[in-house]
Amino acid sequence: MSQAAAPSAPYMGQRPSKPRRGRPTAAAVVVLAAITVWAGLGVGVDLAAIGRNWQNAVVNTTQLLQPDYAFFPKTIPALLETLNMAVIATFIGSLLSVPLAFLASRATNPNAPLLGAVRFGMNLIRSVPDILYAAILVAVVGVGALSGIMALVLFNVGIIVKLVSEALDAEDLGAQEAALAAGATWTGANRSAMLPQILPSLASQVLYTFEINIRASTVIGLVGAGGLGILIDNVRSFFRYHELSLIILEILVMVLVLEALSSALRKRLV
Amino acid sequence: MERTGADIRFENATVTYPNGHAGLKGITLDIPAGQMVGVVGLSGAGKSTLVRTINGLVPLSAGSIAVGGHTLTGRGGTQLRGRELRELRSNVGMVFQSFNLAKRTTVINNVLMGRLYHSPAWRTLLGAWKNDDVELAMRALERVEIVGKAYEPAASLSGGQQQRVAIARALAQRPQVILADEPVASLDPPTSHVVMRDLARINAELGITVVVNLHFLDLARTYSERLIGMRAGEIVFDGTGAEADEAVFESIYGRSLTAEDVLEARAEL
Repeated sequence: MSQAAAPSAPYMGQRPSKPRRGRPTAAAVVVLAAITVWAGLGVGVDLAAIGRNWQNAVVNTTQLLQPDYAFFPKTIPALLETLNMAVIATFIGSLLSVPLAFLASRATNPNAPLLGAVRFGMNLIRSVPDILYAAILVAVVGVGALSGIMALVLFNVGIIVKLVSEALDAEDLGAQEAALAAGATWTGANRSAMLPQILPSLASQVLYTFEINIRASTVIGLVGAGGLGILIDNVRSFFRYHELSLIILEILVMVLVLEALSSALRKRLV
Repeated sequence: MERTGADIRFENATVTYPNGHAGLKGITLDIPAGQMVGVVGLSGAGKSTLVRTINGLVPLSAGSIAVGGHTLTGRGGTQLRGRELRELRSNVGMVFQSFNLAKRTTVINNVLMGRLYHSPAWRTLLGAWKNDDVELAMRALERVEIVGKAYEPAASLSGGQQQRVAIARALAQRPQVILADEPVASLDPPTSHVVMRDLARINAELGITVVVNLHFLDLARTYSERLIGMRAGEIVFDGTGAEADEAVFESIYGRSLTAEDVLEARAEL
């Protein structure tokens, strides 16, 4: 072995000198900063506008800091609608996502053309933002919770399939190999050997999606897709900032509480 | 679980991997029903390829292998696929080096994977196993003396226990052949003996043909009635353990025997 080593090769017991770095990092920062300035000029950022309009900001902020608590009873139906939309969309979205995730993972779908087709479809679904789905669906099925739920379902399928199929890709394939070696079909092997392995991560993604849905269902309401968003749009267009302030406060509390619950649950899962 | 073993007949079986590496070079080999065969050789000698061609996990490039009533052929012939391939596989149990259990589910669910071929799709998807299948799985666990752990998660078991669950999974298939690909390579010496004794007992009591790859010569000699030595994709020795002397070891390993090649010597180190 020793005669094979070239005379110039360093002895393996010798400490190497620290590899040089730093200049590429500095160059990258300069380039990124240049791109940012160029982008700012491109969209015509006018920092002076902040100075010109500061009185507006003071008035609006003052109003927003004084929530109108008497408005609370009137927000309850919309609040419940938002919650209901999030629950229903999470449930339907998760049910649809499980089989799609297995079709979208290289580890569980041996059919290359089908795999490619499913992945392409999923990329399409994921590339459309939730508010755009809502705007389109409001035009198709009308104003209300149904269009909101449909928009959230599409949005959820995009997220869950992506995350769960990645969990499948990373999973150990030993048990699946054993099931196939015992004469199982791919469906049988995936169901009995792969599904139990990714259940905790699936449950965690579902809870995470529920958190996102609470927030998203308020925003998609702005285009008429049900829930608190519709109420926000109403009070905002009449400049009723005290009432708007209360709604924002409600969303804040609801999101914080549900996120805390969901994080606590997810910690137990994985 | 009474069922006899099956013959395995290799006819000029050849495997060439996509990268051009020759895994098996025209093997012709006859393993009669009910025999316990140990396959030894260096890593890369083709032991694992030999075992994995028997259930079609590694497809043949040329030649054929007859297992029971089924014949696996190379790309030129009518390759076994779909339901026919699965039927062959359902008759052949397999035990792996790294146990290959679904660790997050229960022991019994893992053993029931041996019944997947016989379970209708709707039952599999719902996890609604037939009582007969559950009974077979329980009896398989009893045979490897680990039935008490049936409802524990597989991850909570020790390595040796996990490998016995894997053997039970193979038994639940009611197989004619059991293949074991380095079944004790991840286990300590005492546990290795427990697992090898289980395999030998299954072979003796149920008459199941057993083909087992082993890295350690002494284990192979102790537990198998027939020893096959492989080197570079070819069979260089075929005989009983007693016939395998120092000269035979040199022909298999290309060097004389060292402490690395036997289990017990390693245990003393």
